[in-house]
Amino acid sequence: MTHSTANVPGPDELREMSPEEAMLVGAESGGVHVVHRRERYPIPGTKAEKRAERGVSFMFGLAALAGVAFIVVFVAWPYVYHLPGEGSQRFRFYTPLLGGLLGLMLLGLGFGAVLWAKWLMPEEEAVEERDDEPSPDEEKLMTAATLSVGFEDTGLQRRRMLVGSLALAGGALATVPLVALVGALIKKPGNQLAHTLWGQPPEKYPNGVPVIYSDGRRVSPNDIQAGGLATVFPGVPGGITSANTPTLLIRLRPNQSVKSRKGQADFGWGDFVAFSKICTHAGCPASLYEQQTTRLLCPCHQSQFEVLQDAKPVFGPATRPLPKLPLGIEVVDGTQYFVGRHDFVEPIGPAYWERP
Amino acid sequence: MTEDFDVDELGFNPAISATGADPQEAPQRDRASSSLGVRRRPRRAVWRRRFASGVVLLIALIGMGGAYALFASSSGANTATSTAADVAAGQQLYETSCITCHGNNLQGVNQRGPSLIGVGGAAVYFQVSTGRMPAPGQGAEMTRKEAKFTDEQISQLEAFVQAHGGGPETPTGNLRDTTLSLGQGGDLFRLNCASCHGFSGAGAPLSAGKLAPTLKHASDTQLFTAMLTGPENMPVFNDNQLTPNEKRAIIDYIQTLKESNDPGGSGIGRIGPVSEGLVIWVAGIGAIVLIIMWIGAKS
Repeated sequence: MTHSTANVPGPDELREMSPEEAMLVGAESGGVHVVHRRERYPIPGTKAEKRAERGVSFMFGLAALAGVAFIVVFVAWPYVYHLPGEGSQRFRFYTPLLGGLLGLMLLGLGFGAVLWAKWLMPEEEAVEERDDEPSPDEEKLMTAATLSVGFEDTGLQRRRMLVGSLALAGGALATVPLVALVGALIKKPGNQLAHTLWGQPPEKYPNGVPVIYSDGRRVSPNDIQAGGLATVFPGVPGGITSANTPTLLIRLRPNQSVKSRKGQADFGWGDFVAFSKICTHAGCPASLYEQQTTRLLCPCHQSQFEVLQDAKPVFGPATRPLPKLPLGIEVVDGTQYFVGRHDFVEPIGPAYWERP
Repeated sequence: MTEDFDVDELGFNPAISATGADPQEAPQRDRASSSLGVRRRPRRAVWRRRFASGVVLLIALIGMGGAYALFASSSGANTATSTAADVAAGQQLYETSCITCHGNNLQGVNQRGPSLIGVGGAAVYFQVSTGRMPAPGQGAEMTRKEAKFTDEQISQLEAFVQAHGGGPETPTGNLRDTTLSLGQGGDLFRLNCASCHGFSGAGAPLSAGKLAPTLKHASDTQLFTAMLTGPENMPVFNDNQLTPNEKRAIIDYIQTLKESNDPGGSGIGRIGPVSEGLVIWVAGIGAIVLIIMWIGAKS
C-alpha cells in the first residue's frame, strides 16, 4: 500500500479549504485520484437543467402513482372466479395488474435513480490505485513473529496429552451434528414399497379384489371395446386415491397375441391384459396407449413399453417391464366382472435400494 | 492535491486532462487508445448506436405481437347437423373419393386403408368433418385439415357406411348437458385424456412422428365421436366404459377451458414452461441486458 500520510494537510488547513478541495484531498490520501470532475450545469437555472430535473421527477412521480394504483387495485378490483358467460371475467387480470403496477413502481424508482446520475449529477471519473504489491518486509516479519509466539504460548507443541484429547473432542464436535442430521434421514421402509392395495387377504376377498372404474362401477369385459383402454383401481377402501394402484386395462384385438414373460402367461383373460400404470423409470403414469402400434408411452421421459411383449420397455430410459396384474372373472347376477386374483408379483414403479 | 499525481503513473490517457486544463477544450488525440473513455465518439456513431437499439426494440415488439397473434386461443365451435340420410348419395360420394383405399365393399385394401365394416357413422363423421379423410397420402398420422365435404354430404356418407355393418352413430342434442359437475369432468379429462392431449388440451407428441392433436379446433360432436370411435392411435372409449354422461362432462370441461381467458392475460400456446421460458429468456432477459447496457453507457 502506498497511502502516504505525510502529505495530508493538517486540520487547520483543511478547515480553510472549500469542501470540494477537502474531498479531493481525502480521496488522494486513500489512493483515489479524481481525474475528471465537472458540473453538468455550471450555470444554475438554465432551461436544460430544469428539463432534466423535470424528467427525473416525472419518473419518481410515476413510481408514486403506480404505488397508489396498486393499493386501489388491491382493494377494489374483482377477484372472484366466474365461469365464462356467467359473470365478468375481469378477475383474470387481478394478479397481472398487481404485478404490473408493482413492477412499474420499482422501474420508476430505478430509472429515476439512474437518470438522476446521468443527467443531473456532476460528471466524475476516478481511478483507484491497485493494492496488489506485497506487504513491506517489516510488516511480514512482525506478523510472523506474533503468530509464532502465539503458537508457542498455547504450548501445543510440548503437551502431547492436551493435543490428543483436543483431537478427540474436535472429532466428537464434527460427528455429533452429522449424526443428528443424517440419522433422521435414514429410515428403512421395510417391504411397504413391494405391495399395493391389490394384495388383500384371501379371506376378505375370496373371489379376488374387484376391479372398478374411478367412479366406483365394477368393470365388465363387455364395457371395453377392442383397442380400448381403461384406468382401473381395486375396489377396496382407499383404492382410488392410493398412489400405487392405478392400473391400465387394455383390450387387444383378436388377432394380437401376447408373448408373455416367464410365469405370467395366465395373467391375462381373453383379449384383456392389465399393467401397472406407474412407469418403472421414474414413476410418471405411462398411460399414453397407441392402440395401433400397441405401445404404452410415458410422457415424462418417453419410455415406450410394448404391450404385446408384456409391457417390455423397447425405447427410452426404462429398463424393467411394467408389472402385470393377474386378471380373473367373477360372475354376479349373471354378469361377468373383472377381479384381481392377487397382487403384482414384483414391486411397481421405479427401483429403490432395497428392491428385492 | 492533483499536482502530486503524475498522469504517467496511470498507464493510460484519461479522457480529460487531469492537470486542470479547460474542460471545454477537447484534448489532442491522434491515435486510438484503450480503456476509459479514450475512444473517439463522434456524433454519427452515437446516433448509429441509438438507431440500432431502436431497431432491436422494434424487432422485440413485433416479435411479441406476432407471437401473441399466433398463440392466442380462439374458440370456434361448429356442430354439424345431420338431416335425413341418403344411402345412395353416400354411395356415389364413396365411389368417387374413398373406394381407392377402402375397397368397393368397404373391406379395405392391403397396405392402403382399413376395413370400414362396422366402424359406424360416428367414425365417418369424425374423420371426414375434421378433414382427415380423404387422406392425401400414407404417413405416420393423418392430421386435421380443411373438410372436403359439406355437412349434408357427410351425413350421406355416414348413412352409407352405417348401412354396411352398423356401428356407433353420431350423437345428437346438447353434448354439454351432463349431471356431473365441471370439476368432475376435469377429473375424468385428467385421468383419461390429459396424458396424451396435455393438461390444457394443447396436444402432445407420441412416439415415432405421431401426435395427439390440440383440441383447439374440435367441436362438441367431434370430441364425442373421437372418444367413441378411437381414431388411429387413440384408444376406443366405449359408451359402457365412459358413459355418455361422462363423455358429455368431459366435453363440457374441455369447451369451458377453451372459452376461458388465461389467468395472467396470455396463454402463450398453453403448453406451459417451454413457451414461458422462451418469453422470459428472450424478452425478459433481453430487456434486462438492454437496461444494463444503458446504465453502464457513458453519458
